[in-house]
Amino acid sequence: MLQISDLGYQYQHSSKPALDGISLSARRGEVLGLLGPNGAGKTTLISHLAGLLAIQRGCILIDDVPLAELRAEAPTRIAVAPQEYAFYPTLSVRENLQCFGAASRLAGKLREERIAQSLAFAQLERFADTRAERLSGGLKRRLNLAIALLPSPALVLFDEPTVGVDPQSRAFILEAVKTLAREGTAVIYTTHYMEEIEAIADHAIIMDHGKVLRDGTLTELLSEGAARLRLIVGNMAATEACALLTRFGTAHREGEYIVVTLNPGVSPTSAITAVENAGARIEQLDYGHYNLEHLFMALTQRSLRDN
Amino acid sequence: MQARMQLLLLGALIRKELTVLLRDVHALGALFLMPIMFIVIMSLALKDIYDPPQFGRAYAVNVRDKGPQAGELMQRWIKMHGEPQALPADPTEALRRGDLRYVISIEPDFSEVVSAPGSPSGVQVRLIADPALEISLFRATEAELSALVGEIRAEALQDRFTGLSTKGGQAIRLLVKTERLTLGLHPTAVQQNVPAWLVFGMFFIVNAIANLLVQENDNGTLSRLLTLGVSPGIQLLSKGLPYLFVNGLQAALMLAVGVWLMPLLGGDGLSLAHIHRGSLLLLLTALSMAAVGMALALASLIRTHAQASTLGPIINVLMAALGGVMVPTSIMPQAMQTLAGYSPMNWGLEGLLAVLLRHASPGEIMQPVLCLAGFGSIMLVAAVILFKRRTRQ
Repeated sequence: MLQISDLGYQYQHSSKPALDGISLSARRGEVLGLLGPNGAGKTTLISHLAGLLAIQRGCILIDDVPLAELRAEAPTRIAVAPQEYAFYPTLSVRENLQCFGAASRLAGKLREERIAQSLAFAQLERFADTRAERLSGGLKRRLNLAIALLPSPALVLFDEPTVGVDPQSRAFILEAVKTLAREGTAVIYTTHYMEEIEAIADHAIIMDHGKVLRDGTLTELLSEGAARLRLIVGNMAATEACALLTRFGTAHREGEYIVVTLNPGVSPTSAITAVENAGARIEQLDYGHYNLEHLFMALTQRSLRDN
Repeated sequence: MQARMQLLLLGALIRKELTVLLRDVHALGALFLMPIMFIVIMSLALKDIYDPPQFGRAYAVNVRDKGPQAGELMQRWIKMHGEPQALPADPTEALRRGDLRYVISIEPDFSEVVSAPGSPSGVQVRLIADPALEISLFRATEAELSALVGEIRAEALQDRFTGLSTKGGQAIRLLVKTERLTLGLHPTAVQQNVPAWLVFGMFFIVNAIANLLVQENDNGTLSRLLTLGVSPGIQLLSKGLPYLFVNGLQAALMLAVGVWLMPLLGGDGLSLAHIHRGSLLLLLTALSMAAVGMALALASLIRTHAQASTLGPIINVLMAALGGVMVPTSIMPQAMQTLAGYSPMNWGLEGLLAVLLRHASPGEIMQPVLCLAGFGSIMLVAAVILFKRRTRQ
């Protein structure tokens, strides 16, 4: 459905590109999770899809049609649920939906139907006549979602939609995103929270400094860490332990941990035995437990929430 | 079909703008209440500048002559200016303190001197005024007193040489008729202030539109509309058109204040009798075009609420000071008057004064109308360019 090839973008007065040859694809009925810390290029990528930035390099195709062409003909096929509360605070929920419904080229009976469906999807019927500024943080996020879904878009971009919401609203939004994908919409979901990607994404992309570091299904990404051994050793300097463990794979330090990605066919027992035989004491050990956070740190040497 | 959708979209966005405005008490206050307050306060405060009262100004007399001409002079002065206050022990000090506005002092030989032929010798009547008395009022009082002394002298000489007593028959004022060319109407404080503050109020939409655009930029609605393919042109139009309506409402309200409210508050009433309604409508439309165009251009330039809250009012106040809203251009020096001619507020004000005071026809106000409409169009083009640049950023 969506095909991005070699997308590059550099802001004026910036020495580094915000996007540096990004390539990815998204399919109908699937959630593509986009993970990356601040400055990774997620917002720049979304701004391209939203039509707010012109393409400098590469190309974006939607069902084999160039993005600019599609946006000129049917701009509402791609919807964005932005990070901000992008609605009018002094208007009621229904008035906001009516206004953005008209902006989505919906009119008459069809508009009223879509408003009713969006209200129902976001479970906002009870608040239809409440002014948006009087809604709680979670309800505001749901209104953002309802507005995005008004024109029945084929592709929806969620830009960190759960920032600052309560756990119930967060669970509701995640479930809504999954439902949307099940109903056949292509979804791109950006977040800082790995557990959200693990919960809803079919595919995930890890970005940093404007590049795609990893692209694959969750199973593929998590399997990368299957042969990863993390340990804290006593009685031996960390540099000495690292040097010792390089016989079994690639070893590096992550804070007080030594992380070893074992070579194919190497058993973790042999590495542990070697450390103990060298007179060191194993104080902590972690093997086979791996998540996106670990993968991200292994790839970028920094946390997802770092600036 | 496409055009119908665009019209529906424009209608929905205009309705949104009006609803947002109606729920913004502060913006409504700034757009409607503030100019009305200015009209009421300034009209009442400046009432006497445009129509100085003949009575009620505290004065005293020091008549040191018992002759008939001195008595006659005082009698006629009192008839015109009301009863004097009692003469204080130290009249000069009373004038300095502002207790009295002026003192007329008649010397002991006044009756004898004015009745004698030949050149009068020495000063016989003195007018001493409060240092704060406006110079125009001082000169008017001086002229009135001189004319009255002239009348008394003419009557006394006629009586003496012809024996014909013509008391009051030499009223020189009857020989002179003065008239300001305003089709029989003299401009009042209200007639000056309603157009002035109406123009000021109409340009005050700059703040409202600038704040609106900053707010929409900050809360992401501007981007959301762009994402939905709403063109910058439609977005600007949806903000400009409601404010043409707001300007129309402001004008109707402020003219109504001048016509009906001011007389109730003790001020003069604004007269709309005999004015050319087509001229008024034409001028107000051109004025609104200029105000909306400038508001959109500035709003597209402004990035923060701080800029909107300072830059907008500063530009408005400077334009008002230059354009004759705060100080009438007629009392400005020539150089300032020339400079005022470059202010859009001045074009609007001069045009409105022409309509309200001179009952100008549409043809007679074409110059300010074309200047305002031209300015509005240029500003609108600038707004589109600036807004597009802003959305690209």
